[in-house]
Amino acid sequence: MKHDIGKLPEILDRHPKSQESLIAILQDIQKEYNYIPCEALTETATALSIPLSKVFAISTFYNAFSLTPRGETIIRVCTGTACHIRGAELIKDQIETALGIKAGETTPDGKFTIEVVACVGACAMAPVVINNEKYHGSVKVSGVKKLLKVKK
Amino acid sequence: MQIKEVEHIKKLRNKYLASQKKFPRKVMVCCGTGCLANGAGKIVDAFTDALDKREIKHFAVEAIKETGCHGFCEQGPLVIIEPSGTFYTKVKTKDVDKIIEQSIERNEVIESLLFAEPKSGEKIEKYGDVDFFKHQHRLALRNLGKISADSIIEYISVGGYKAFAKAVTTMKPDEIIDEIVASGLRGRGGGGFPAGRKWRTCREAAADTKYVVCNGDEGDPGAFMDRSIMEGDPHAVLEGMMIAAFAVGADQGYIYVRDEYPLATTHLQKAIEDCQESGLLGENILGKDFSFSIKIARGAGAFVCGESSALMRSIAGEIGEPRAKYVRSVIKGLYDQPTVLNNVETYVNVPLIIDKGSSWFKGIGTEKSSGTKVFSLVGKVRNTGLIEVGMGTTLREIIFDIGDGIIDNRPFKAVQTGGPSGGCLPAEHLDLPVDFDTLTEVGSMMGSGGMIVMDDKTCMVDVAQYFLGFLVEESCGKCVPCREGLFQLHKLITRICEGKGEEGDLEKMEHLSQTVLTASLCGLGTSGPNPLLSTIKYFREEYEAHIRDKKCPAGVCKSLIKYEINDKCTGCMACIPACGYDAITGEKKKIHILDQDKCTKCGACYAVCKFEAIDVS
Amino acid sequence: MVNITINGKTAQAKEGEMLLSVIRRLKIDVPALCHHEAVEPLGACRLCMVEITKTEWDGWSKFVTSCLYPVEPDLIVSTHSDQVNEIRRTIMDLYLARHPNSPEIRKLAEEYGVLKTSYEVQVDGDNCILCGICTRICDAMGFHAISLVGRGHGKTVAPPLNEAPPDCTGCLSCALNCPTNFIEFSDQDDKRTIWNKEFEMLACVKCGATTITREFAEHLSKNRDIPFEYFETCDSCHRKETSLTMGRIAAWTKEAQS
Repeated sequence: MKHDIGKLPEILDRHPKSQESLIAILQDIQKEYNYIPCEALTETATALSIPLSKVFAISTFYNAFSLTPRGETIIRVCTGTACHIRGAELIKDQIETALGIKAGETTPDGKFTIEVVACVGACAMAPVVINNEKYHGSVKVSGVKKLLKVKK
Repeated sequence: MQIKEVEHIKKLRNKYLASQKKFPRKVMVCCGTGCLANGAGKIVDAFTDALDKREIKHFAVEAIKETGCHGFCEQGPLVIIEPSGTFYTKVKTKDVDKIIEQSIERNEVIESLLFAEPKSGEKIEKYGDVDFFKHQHRLALRNLGKISADSIIEYISVGGYKAFAKAVTTMKPDEIIDEIVASGLRGRGGGGFPAGRKWRTCREAAADTKYVVCNGDEGDPGAFMDRSIMEGDPHAVLEGMMIAAFAVGADQGYIYVRDEYPLATTHLQKAIEDCQESGLLGENILGKDFSFSIKIARGAGAFVCGESSALMRSIAGEIGEPRAKYVRSVIKGLYDQPTVLNNVETYVNVPLIIDKGSSWFKGIGTEKSSGTKVFSLVGKVRNTGLIEVGMGTTLREIIFDIGDGIIDNRPFKAVQTGGPSGGCLPAEHLDLPVDFDTLTEVGSMMGSGGMIVMDDKTCMVDVAQYFLGFLVEESCGKCVPCREGLFQLHKLITRICEGKGEEGDLEKMEHLSQTVLTASLCGLGTSGPNPLLSTIKYFREEYEAHIRDKKCPAGVCKSLIKYEINDKCTGCMACIPACGYDAITGEKKKIHILDQDKCTKCGACYAVCKFEAIDVS
Repeated sequence: MVNITINGKTAQAKEGEMLLSVIRRLKIDVPALCHHEAVEPLGACRLCMVEITKTEWDGWSKFVTSCLYPVEPDLIVSTHSDQVNEIRRTIMDLYLARHPNSPEIRKLAEEYGVLKTSYEVQVDGDNCILCGICTRICDAMGFHAISLVGRGHGKTVAPPLNEAPPDCTGCLSCALNCPTNFIEFSDQDDKRTIWNKEFEMLACVKCGATTITREFAEHLSKNRDIPFEYFETCDSCHRKETSLTMGRIAAWTKEAQS
């Protein structure tokens, strides 16, 4: 399957062509496409003169990168310590049940992806769920369904 | 705005302070991540809109400050009227007109928006009188909430860059290092290594290129002080790094920021640009033979990158795998050059030490841990948030005076410090004065300052299982003891949580832990078993209850508990829609029925029931 | 040169030389599954850990991976102290849980007294011990065709995008150096397959035996300045040719002398 990577030259132009830019470039690609299409990975490797195997290793090492398309809405459940002891697991279970997928998966219609984040640093509002960019604090099990309907 | 000599900083400061006199009252809106999540952005808009609509006496857009985090995120959005210090919590957009009319125009206090102390219910008018703030000693957090977070002139107006100017124009690099050594400043990122000694080694290392790196990869779950400082006082971070660079002779700096902190990146980026524009970063700074620039490197979601060698490889665009370091990074660090690496909180203390002197700093805190420490006080405590206290403050003062005790008056059970490398301390250690060494002595550690309070409804086995699970996810997988050892420890503890634990499991875990502690390559592994070992040490009977009696006394481990509806049920039907799994059925005013087969033990019913009609056993 | 003590005996070593190389020179058996002389040490398996101390350390000692520890003067090293043996035993116990079917792992575990793992056996555990010798050798060869992918317990060795690796030349350096013989390849007729990539084998122009892959020959002739034709003759034919040449030279010399 071919993917449109029309924006890639523009992204590559924004950064110096060195290995130091690699993570920043992958981040920009991830942000633009919500994942990293494999063609983009290959082209980035060529543009920076870094072996493809290294680029692949880096893109699979860091959690921020996904090599498969993700949903339009990304539900990020914080499972930091503060969230954990205030019931983040239960919130996660509830979200998984409501969307019919497990954390890390995307709904077949491509609408939702659930991600688990180790800590978003909003511990004082635990438990926290982030719907795309919107933070929801002190989330209750009973409030999950409502939260999922809230679009950005 | 060009700053070419020290005088320029002074002039800018005086000019700005004079211009601010036009506004007798200022509105400080907290715009940290927490308050923004609670709608602080809309509050700022509401104030600006109100000004668009009509002229307000003694008030202008310039008097609205979008400040950094106060640390009292749970009560957000926070609005403070200065100079009176009137403190409003949970402000809504509809309150804005009222605030303008009453508090700005008429200097009155709006009773309904004041914070009420949870214990006494007493309404507190002024910011500094709230228990949460009263007991704090804010140095690293000095500017948070006091100035517009991303404004260089506001930073200068509160004395910013004064210390840097002093260092560059009146001190020799060695004098700066002497001062930092004398202050006793220890690294706030975890280990507590003396910062001055590190700087000295780097200064003495022979190399053409040296680096100053700021570790902003605050990975410990449950800690967010570095995020708040980077967001709310980015210039203080830069100033600390600039002083360090001048002292060790570095011309390039990097700030490694966690991927999860986009606002911190934005504010730091703006701060760097403003410094470049004004000449505080770049070539021949303040007319001296000193050039320095700073780049931001964004993390990409890997806890292990908080480890120094992994962080440096990640900056270089490589995999964040730690390297065995029998040669320290201060000698051979980033790109194999001498590198000073300190964390955010360490750097922001530096300008204060240079400005006020090492003996002033040494006078705060304890003998071997001088200064203050920021903690993120979270978990089952009434007042959660970011706090800063002198080293040596007891856990009890932090949890009960500042934190106002445990939610719902439940009994205190443990406090977890030091994140995944730390441990859980029971009530017997509540009077422990907190500093780097005391925490290590009792089997925990300072770490970056996460302090997670736990009550009797927190299961310590579950907590240990949580940390091990976290570390298994975050282990880079390079060395066997960490990759396979933590994996097996997690397997063992998971079995215990599921009621499949066997006699001898604890001993097996303790034995395996020793190898993981001794033989792992980096700090992630060599401290990874700490949460497990400290909970076994202090809460062994809780483990035994799981293993022998197949019971979770705290009612947390799902496989070992059961929810039941008792006869206190009034048939209010509140729990029926709360259950996401249709496990509860019933009619109005009749005792409801819980289908055990459908019950996932999510606890939603328990949370909504107002009549204590749901038992957990 | 500096003097150090290993297991009670004095040994000489170059300052800065890695401890493991001194230990191996003395023929002391210290296991090291991720070590390969051709590449930089990694310090991943931790089996080569030894206990070190110095007289002035007042009885304090520490554990270091000898493959990465540069020799210092007056070091006192124990390669088989009780604690070191215990670390190795536990590590082999962990390896055995993950790779229960690997003969090499079973043998080494047995040497340290582990016949059955104490931990949960990973039933589907393969024989790749993630030592990274293959990827480091591939890098050293200049191909960078494969790498360690992912992280943590789920890490694997794989070609980019898990597809046939474009930079692989079928040189077999990875497979032949794998300590657990995990990397599969097949040589059939004039075809070689490795990492799901098929290579054409060059045939010897003299005897028809296969030599090396066309890609590898092209790489070597380009980068090592060896004529491509050199690889169109197999090693034994090269030797035959050499002996013929040598014989002729001998005959000429004899002829010239008489």
